[in-house]
Amino acid sequence: MDKQNKTSILVLDDEQIVLKRLKPALERSGYKVETFFRSADAFDRVDGKNFDIVITDLKMEGSDGMAFLTHVKKRSPKTEVIVITGFATMDTAKESFKKGVFDFLAKPFKLGELIDAVKKAETRINDIRQ
Amino acid sequence: MDNSNKVKNIVNKIIGKIPFFSTRLQDKHDREIAFTTIFARFQDILELNNQILDLMATISNKLSGDYIFDRNYIESSSHLMGDLIAKLISNFNILTHGKYRQLNNVFRKINRDIEKELSGKLVIPETDYVIPYRSLTRDFSEVAGGKNSNVAELKNQLGLTVPHGFAITTRAFKSFLEYNNLSERVNIILHAWRGGDKTTEKASEEIRELIDKGTIPPDVQKAFNWGLDNLKTYSDDKKLGLAVRSSALGEDSEHSFAGQYDSFLNVFPENFGNHYKAVLASTYSASAMEYRLQKNFSEQEVAMPVACQMLINARASGVIYTLDPVSPERRVLLITGTWGLGAPLVSGKIYGDSFVVLRKPGHSILELDIVRKREALVPDEKEGCVFKEVEREAQTRATLSENQVKFLTETALSIERYFKKPQDIEWSLDQNNNFYILQARQLNIASKLSSIVNDISSVVQKYPVIFSKRGAIVQKGIAIGKVFVVNSEEDLEKFPNEGAILVTHQFSPILSRVVKKAHGILTDIGSPTGHMASIAREFSVPSIVNTKVATNLLTNGEEITIDAEDNVIYKGRIEELSLYEFSHDNVGEYYEYRLLRRILKRISPLNLVDPKANNFNPRGCETFHDIARFIHEKAVKTLREVKFYNQRNSDIPARELQSTIPLDLMMIDIGGGLKENAGKRKVTENDISCLPMVEFLKGVNAPGAWDNEPMSVDFGSFMSSMTRTFSTGASSPKAIGQNLAVISEEYANISLRLGYHFSMIVAYISEKINNNYAYFRFNGGVTDPVRRGRRAKFIGRILEKKGFYVDIRKDLMVARIKKISKESLKRKLYLIGKMVSFTRQLDVKMVDDDHINLFMREFEKMELKNTGEQD
Repeated sequence: MDKQNKTSILVLDDEQIVLKRLKPALERSGYKVETFFRSADAFDRVDGKNFDIVITDLKMEGSDGMAFLTHVKKRSPKTEVIVITGFATMDTAKESFKKGVFDFLAKPFKLGELIDAVKKAETRINDIRQ
Repeated sequence: MDNSNKVKNIVNKIIGKIPFFSTRLQDKHDREIAFTTIFARFQDILELNNQILDLMATISNKLSGDYIFDRNYIESSSHLMGDLIAKLISNFNILTHGKYRQLNNVFRKINRDIEKELSGKLVIPETDYVIPYRSLTRDFSEVAGGKNSNVAELKNQLGLTVPHGFAITTRAFKSFLEYNNLSERVNIILHAWRGGDKTTEKASEEIRELIDKGTIPPDVQKAFNWGLDNLKTYSDDKKLGLAVRSSALGEDSEHSFAGQYDSFLNVFPENFGNHYKAVLASTYSASAMEYRLQKNFSEQEVAMPVACQMLINARASGVIYTLDPVSPERRVLLITGTWGLGAPLVSGKIYGDSFVVLRKPGHSILELDIVRKREALVPDEKEGCVFKEVEREAQTRATLSENQVKFLTETALSIERYFKKPQDIEWSLDQNNNFYILQARQLNIASKLSSIVNDISSVVQKYPVIFSKRGAIVQKGIAIGKVFVVNSEEDLEKFPNEGAILVTHQFSPILSRVVKKAHGILTDIGSPTGHMASIAREFSVPSIVNTKVATNLLTNGEEITIDAEDNVIYKGRIEELSLYEFSHDNVGEYYEYRLLRRILKRISPLNLVDPKANNFNPRGCETFHDIARFIHEKAVKTLREVKFYNQRNSDIPARELQSTIPLDLMMIDIGGGLKENAGKRKVTENDISCLPMVEFLKGVNAPGAWDNEPMSVDFGSFMSSMTRTFSTGASSPKAIGQNLAVISEEYANISLRLGYHFSMIVAYISEKINNNYAYFRFNGGVTDPVRRGRRAKFIGRILEKKGFYVDIRKDLMVARIKKISKESLKRKLYLIGKMVSFTRQLDVKMVDDDHINLFMREFEKMELKNTGEQD
């Protein structure tokens, strides 16, 4: 993939550490990454741009990741959403998948697991495009 | 006496009642708690202990950098850990009837500290004000600071020569603040500074003045005096000169506050207090405050530990970088040196000689630059240091000889291996040509390195893989070196001093002494939670256990690279891999990592190592790990010592074992130890389904062990003479008597009196390695104590060879082994059975010490004959 056409990723998590670690790792793997820890800012951003992939936490202080991913999928159905959460339950997982979430990772996860999920999402995006 | 009466009698005699239940709980007989209940608690304890160790490993793993975790994880896993420990303690209190209730307080205190950490407060542990280097371990790094604990580790773990000295802990800092009522005042100033109402310079000046005017609290001063008096004993007649410097938190590890704080050379003891205050004050230098602000350090994390070292009156001093920070790809070390003390070289005031040395073994000197050294900094006769002119002839002479360069190189690389990061090391050479390492800290060149090894996968592809994904990594890292296979204790003596990769079938305790020389360790069998794993971690030696194939596939002298990150063993030296390891992001930068690390300090260090040590009691427990360890040890002990209660109203009858060997053993089955169709009064070996019991009896019955079968001529006659010595009466069932086993499917607790000695065997064998253990206690005898002692020694030596931890005190021998696989533990039980048989009357003939070796050889011969019994 050439530089102009990098896969774009938005990451939303209210814990800075997650953003600090994911940004460089995803960038090293060749992605264009924007990170947000306030969901209001992330809402604004996705209204202005359709990202290829959105990675979001589910349970954040003062906002609901589920609402965010619902919004994202409604605006841009082609965007693949990966959920990362520390409160993984069968119910939240089921609900996420019903909303069209691509993958669901329970925190803590290995960096490699997330990169794998992102790669798979990327493959699907490319398959659909072709 | 009819049989059932006999059974009842024997059982009554030995079983008795569980003491505390009979004295406290019981009113008469009805409220007795059955052994099955006790045993169920015991099993819960084992299970909880397992979960705790697992969780501890899982949490520690998060620090490896592979994981993304957040604060929520830290909180929830800390709470889960607390819950498990609480459950463990409550089970244990039931088992021991509250004998160790103090554990509750210890637990609450640790838990409170963890909660405090979680709430963002820096918890300063209640340590001493002063800790001498000889007693300083890594676990104190938080209170003693990076510089102190690194130097102490070099001394205590790597055996390097460092200046005598002591750490002044953060507790002294805290006490100083409290004594002078400074915390509040400092916070007000800091608050104004962060709010923009004060410039950094102004805030710094005000705080420094407050500290300067403070008084050292009397008990802190007392501790200083004690530390200083200790140092005086090392200084020959001359006046003691000190180096007093900051050992600030974070310095020397993930953060380099190098140069941010003041340090003072050649301080006299009587002025130590003022210099201590001056170092404290430098915590609040304007540059340090700015630096912390930039790096997102909370001011709450600030607590200054200080280093006090004996000043080395140096002939020469200098610095070593284990990699060239500008061009790490050259794979060289940079060594600089100058005459006198190193301070002007370190601060960059002067240039010194420089030596560029290859990292590759052989360590040839690539480049050499000898400069004119006109002046040297030396300790003044009065306090402080002065520059002195260097003698003309010495000005252009090299500060180090080729051999000295080589020595420093090897030392520096061993430090790098130990700390797993490129190092920035300060050295001095004293007037008698002894080298000292003054400090070692991480060289921060990660960003440089990642650019030179960005495609590690294509580099390693060039090297053949010997094996991969075998066994379990117990200590991560990269190890490069020559294979050294250890099969016997003699091999151990030949283990190269310059280090090698230790390859062995199974780790045995005697290998501990070469671990710190090993660059890496590979074993065929072993458990990741075993003893060896903790030693490997202690010395930070990259290790993989349970590979099954290591001794088969590797040959002595072969050069290999262990990738104990990815679990691959390569043929050849792949230096790039260790550079790559160095380049990993420094996740320690993040607050969450520091928090988790601090919390783990309350959880995972193990202080209660030796059950015989004075601190092996609830009061000695400083961490959750200590509590778990203490409980595990005492729970096993409690169960071992339980006197089984009168089974009269119980549905568990004691049954007699009918065997060719006259053991006269009564058995109480508490669950699954006997087959369903076993007789109600008498059972045979075929009825037993208790795994440890089955193996033990097989061993007892092993050919040649009970002297029923012919042995080698010498030994046979030996034994027959012994049999004659002991009348048949002594070995008849009646005289032996009083033998009892409590068994379940996986557990056996066997008390035996054979001849005139007493053995106790307790074992638990299951699929879960962590639960497995065997305990064998052996004492008594009929001869004089010396001969009995010989027999104990004989048994002990054999068991030690087979991997047991053995403790011999006079004629008492206690052997323990735990956390080994089901199959290996079965073989150990078999061995114990055989030993019990073989040795029951040996002490009679143990007339001199040579017999210990003679019998050992005989026993080994017998082992060889019984093929398939080797382990």
